[in-house]
Amino acid sequence: MDILQNLYMGFSISLTPTNILYCLAGAFIGQLVGVLPGIGAPTAVALLLPMTFTLNPTSAIIMFAGIYYGVAYGGTITSVLINIPGESSTVMTCLDGYQMALKGRAGAALSVAAIGSWIAGTISVVLLMCFAPALANFALRFGPPEYFGLALMSFGLLTVFGGDQPIKSIVSTLMGLFIATIGLDVVSGVPRFAFGVPQLLGGVDFIVIICGIFGITEIFNSIENPDEGDLIKQKMRLKDLFLTRAEWIASRWAIVRGGVIGFFVGLIPAGGITTASFLAYLAEKRISKHPEKFGTGVIEGVASPEAANNSASISGFAPLLALGIPGSPTTAVMLAGFMMWGIRPGPLLFQNNADLVWGLISSKFIGNLILLLMNIFLIPFFVMILRVPYTILMGFIVVFATVGAFTVSNNLFDVWMMLGFGVLGYVMTKLKYPIVPLVLGLVLGRLAENSLRQSLMLSGGSLSIFFTRPITLLFMVAAILAYLTPLIQWAMKSLRPAEVKAA
Amino acid sequence: MRFADLLGGVVVLLFGLSVIFFSSQLPYASEYGPGPGLLPLWLGVGLAGCAIAIILKALKNPGRGEAFFKPRTRVGIQMLAMIAVAFLLLPLLGFSVGLALFTAASMRIIGKHGALLCALTFVGAAIGVHFIFGEWLSIPLPTGIVGW
Repeated sequence: MDILQNLYMGFSISLTPTNILYCLAGAFIGQLVGVLPGIGAPTAVALLLPMTFTLNPTSAIIMFAGIYYGVAYGGTITSVLINIPGESSTVMTCLDGYQMALKGRAGAALSVAAIGSWIAGTISVVLLMCFAPALANFALRFGPPEYFGLALMSFGLLTVFGGDQPIKSIVSTLMGLFIATIGLDVVSGVPRFAFGVPQLLGGVDFIVIICGIFGITEIFNSIENPDEGDLIKQKMRLKDLFLTRAEWIASRWAIVRGGVIGFFVGLIPAGGITTASFLAYLAEKRISKHPEKFGTGVIEGVASPEAANNSASISGFAPLLALGIPGSPTTAVMLAGFMMWGIRPGPLLFQNNADLVWGLISSKFIGNLILLLMNIFLIPFFVMILRVPYTILMGFIVVFATVGAFTVSNNLFDVWMMLGFGVLGYVMTKLKYPIVPLVLGLVLGRLAENSLRQSLMLSGGSLSIFFTRPITLLFMVAAILAYLTPLIQWAMKSLRPAEVKAA
Repeated sequence: MRFADLLGGVVVLLFGLSVIFFSSQLPYASEYGPGPGLLPLWLGVGLAGCAIAIILKALKNPGRGEAFFKPRTRVGIQMLAMIAVAFLLLPLLGFSVGLALFTAASMRIIGKHGALLCALTFVGAAIGVHFIFGEWLSIPLPTGIVGW
């Protein structure tokens, strides 16, 4: 009953004309930012934060929340249309979304992403509303060993499903983890692999790398393989936006599964929407009857990660609001906003600022609906990009990637690094080293290292800590099984000729 | 491709060994537990180990597979050179003009588009970059000799 009363109070706040306008503005900006590669939600929120000094905090946070989940919608458009994730959370969407676009089903990919995001987002808000305290308590049980186990399991799953050469996937993951160690060590303050370069002391920013290895790499690949870009000239009609019956049947449960995975991963502090989309995609591939088709343009490969990232972007507010712990870079910037407005997120926020909390939660219903409508009506305009020759688009991709890399710390060093990572991604692609594990290694690198070190500190250096806690044990067993799978497959393949010989 | 795979494996091996070397100069353990050198050292070991496996596999694999250099690789390298030149000119020309010039030049040289379309793209891109990023999004883009 309390929930319904609080929700009623929330709607009375979020449905005021001013707050609807801020929600609309946030959703639109988020959508726009998501479309622009290299300009992520943290940058957008950080740039807009100083402009909200005089705003009502509830209105401002409704707008920033709109940007946050709007980006997840917008990022899909570039992932599907130009194979560049507007946001890290839509990396997985590139795999099948772009392939669908090449097959002339860009409209269906974008529609299923919008509908899936809306359904999963709505489910996530309802779950957040009903079970927030209990779920937050569950996430609180996660200590450093659990985080390390979760990261290790993610790397393991990626090794299994990352391609036909697991060793190259492992190399890619290790490289990502290594890049994440560059800069000042947060525990000891010792600089690592900076080689006296001051710009490297703060580490290599994720945006710089993603602009390079997705934006620039794709340009080189498209130039070298011009046939792949020919289908970009396809025409897009309104009826192409509608899903066929078969596509809807294939994607409906993927949306629900993605939404649930996203919800739970988003609850974990620092779980992140990127991890949610990775795990949802991998889970979908794993349970699929045709896993070999993933990466060739299957609709479940779009529906599941899209549902997950939107769901996680909503449940990710739980650790921020209830515990005062940001779950992602964007919510970290928002935390700075809370401080700026004189509000301290944490358990007392639900009592002292119930209007803000429930106004925000209820605004997510409105924001998701706005984004669904916006995506259905704006999709044809964005799909018009497909008609533009790639030789025109590629120049603009360089512009967006360059500005995106520059905005990280406003220096040209990052721009050059972005180009360097573009070349690295190109060489890796040519040598069949998958890029996605590198990105996951990079995203989870700090978390994995910090949790590993903290765990070993807790256990006095004993590895037994990873096998004596139930949740950690679960993650570790899953990770070990994942790493052993290619080895088992290899052994079985090696045994087969022997059996034939014996016969 | 077999040679490229072999070369790739050697590069990863050298990279892994370098990581091991530089990590070994960092403290492996500290007073309170693991030090900053712990994870990088094991990452280096992992990289070197995987590299050896890749090299052995490449040596065992007799097939040639897909060619590393393709007919249009040269165009890709041309594009890379153009991007590098554009980045070198950014401090002089500024972001708006420099990136617009690059966009128009890449359309003309790589895409073989008409001079008028390229000129219009140059003007449009310069104005677009300046107003969208510089003015609207307030990104402090470096200005060049033109002033924006």
